[in-house]
Amino acid sequence: MAQRLLLRRFLVSVISRKPSQGWWPPLTSRALQTPGGLTVTPNPARTIYTTRISLTTFNIQDGPDFQDRVVNSETPVVVDFHAQWCGPCKILGPRLEKMVAKQHGKVVMAKVDIDDHTDLAIEYEVSAVPTVLAMKNGDVVDKFVGIKDEDQLEAFLKKLIG
Amino acid sequence: MAAMAAALRGLGGRFRWRTPAVAGGVRGAAQGAVAGQWDYDLLVIGGGSGGLACAKEAAQLGRKVAVVDYVEPSPRGTRWGLGGTCVNVGCIPKKLMHQAALLGGLIRDAPHYGWEVAQPVPHDWRKMAEAVQNHVKSLNWGHRVQLHDRKVKYFNVKAGFVDEHTVRGVAKGGKEILLSADHIVIATGGRPRYPAHIEGALEYGITSDDIFWLKESPGKTLVVGASYVALECAGFLTGIGLDTTVMMRSIPLRGFDQQMSSLVTEHMASHGTRFLRGCTPSQVRRLPDGQLQVTWEDHTTGKEGTGTFNTVLWAVGRVPDTRSLNLEKAGVDTSPSTQKILVDSREATSVPHIYAIGDVVEGRPELTPTAVMAGRLLAQRLFGGSSDLMDYDKVPTTVFTPLEYGCVGLSEEEAVARHGQERVEVYHAHYKPLEFTVPGRDASQCYVKMVCLREPPQLVLGLHFLGPNAGEVTQGFALGIKCGASYVQVMQTVGIHPTCSEEVVKLRISKRSGLDPTVTGCG
Repeated sequence: MAQRLLLRRFLVSVISRKPSQGWWPPLTSRALQTPGGLTVTPNPARTIYTTRISLTTFNIQDGPDFQDRVVNSETPVVVDFHAQWCGPCKILGPRLEKMVAKQHGKVVMAKVDIDDHTDLAIEYEVSAVPTVLAMKNGDVVDKFVGIKDEDQLEAFLKKLIG
Repeated sequence: MAAMAAALRGLGGRFRWRTPAVAGGVRGAAQGAVAGQWDYDLLVIGGGSGGLACAKEAAQLGRKVAVVDYVEPSPRGTRWGLGGTCVNVGCIPKKLMHQAALLGGLIRDAPHYGWEVAQPVPHDWRKMAEAVQNHVKSLNWGHRVQLHDRKVKYFNVKAGFVDEHTVRGVAKGGKEILLSADHIVIATGGRPRYPAHIEGALEYGITSDDIFWLKESPGKTLVVGASYVALECAGFLTGIGLDTTVMMRSIPLRGFDQQMSSLVTEHMASHGTRFLRGCTPSQVRRLPDGQLQVTWEDHTTGKEGTGTFNTVLWAVGRVPDTRSLNLEKAGVDTSPSTQKILVDSREATSVPHIYAIGDVVEGRPELTPTAVMAGRLLAQRLFGGSSDLMDYDKVPTTVFTPLEYGCVGLSEEEAVARHGQERVEVYHAHYKPLEFTVPGRDASQCYVKMVCLREPPQLVLGLHFLGPNAGEVTQGFALGIKCGASYVQVMQTVGIHPTCSEEVVKLRISKRSGLDPTVTGCG
């Protein structure tokens, strides 16, 4: 615990991108890993460290951001293509975030709003939403469309982590 | 460039060089004036009902197709995605809000059928609007995916002609691209007209472009106009419980059968919509509390009237979206009075390789299904070796007012004008939908009439149905009428019971007989 606090205070000084929609500053592929395998993000707003689902989840800002944080990520990434107007997305999103958080940083999750990033979604052949891609070393290794329950998501993530 | 291209075309017009597919990005620039070399086989300007149908059909026939679509925000700032008027600010959101209003009526009927529903049930505009807007957005996305799947290139740019084979597209940020094509289809549709001569109209009023995208309820609304847009909007606004007034200069639903149109407005008037007939607005002002004060002239009394409203909705006609196209650069002729594009029976404009379909065309119905069909047939003629022309005869349609009006074929007055009173027979009936009986709903305007030739076998010229689910009722009969059904065949058709539809095949009383056309009982 003390180790984590120390790490946190060090990272607070790291200025990252401006958080949008209330999300924490994005995780970079060079984010520090604690011995416990938990990846820590700089959090200028808080001084007390708490485990938050959002540590392992982030919103994609643009094409280069996707390239940087997903394609070039050393950690496997689950990409959640969703839309504001999609009811099932609102159910799957939080469920997937929860299951990703449970993997203790072995996988992270990128969220892509297909209306904001239409070209990206089309490039990755998204037609219906939600579409979830499993990406490792820049390649799409798995995919599913629609809602899944927690057990199915667990299996999906475990398979990706390997 | 155009002159060079023309000269070279003369040399080797048949020889076509296909440009290799350009990867991503906004490219596709005109390659230069080599004979027959265009960026695309087909460029469609306008991503609405007609444009998308034409583009997808052409792509399916193996052609290189591009669609350019751009939505200029409304004066209120409303904008929307791919799909055109129907998807974003027409048919789709209209029908959904109409449904919301109808549900209000059904909820009121429910207790009579045993449901223990506490009345009155309040309506939340925000919830309805969000649901409708979400559905529309899903359709925008669906269209994007479809274009991608059919390998149609899409550019979100505002297009204008540079010459008859080249179009300049300007993106939102100002970036420009040039696109050239062998064939070009203009399908830019129309936009609502603002009565610019009325003081305050532009600053304070909204149109159908805005009503479906409002986040907050429009509140007490004045709808100015007598078109189906005006009546449909006023209809659903009344249905969801808003204080709604319709201001009409003269007659409702110009161009439609007038007897039916009167019944439509009669129904609305007896169900909560206020009407100000024979009035035209002269001014709209904003009061200190934010409400709008409208001043109008009553032509019947000659007096001036005023009223306060939260919203003023202009539904006084639509204008073709041609101004920014630079049609003169391509040599495309438009009607001097309407500015709509002039075409022949093959949808060709005054320039042989430039075509136009949909609302932007002069003398065509402003309907999605006709634009779609015309678009597909055009693609087949251009690239599929077909010679089938679009048939605009006997096109059915429905006005989705609170009591719906479905029609196909000629109105009674058109039939009489064409054939003469003596050669026309009109069969009619007032009926009462079974579902209206238990809750004691007023069926005074539930009416159907069939306009036929008097001479045996009495060819059916037109059918007019006013009642619930008019669209569903009329669609099937449109097929019969398209096939040349006669009144004799109608009489031979057995009805489905108990429905409102069966009243059509049970029509026996003619207007000429003077008998009471009220349907009674089952026989």
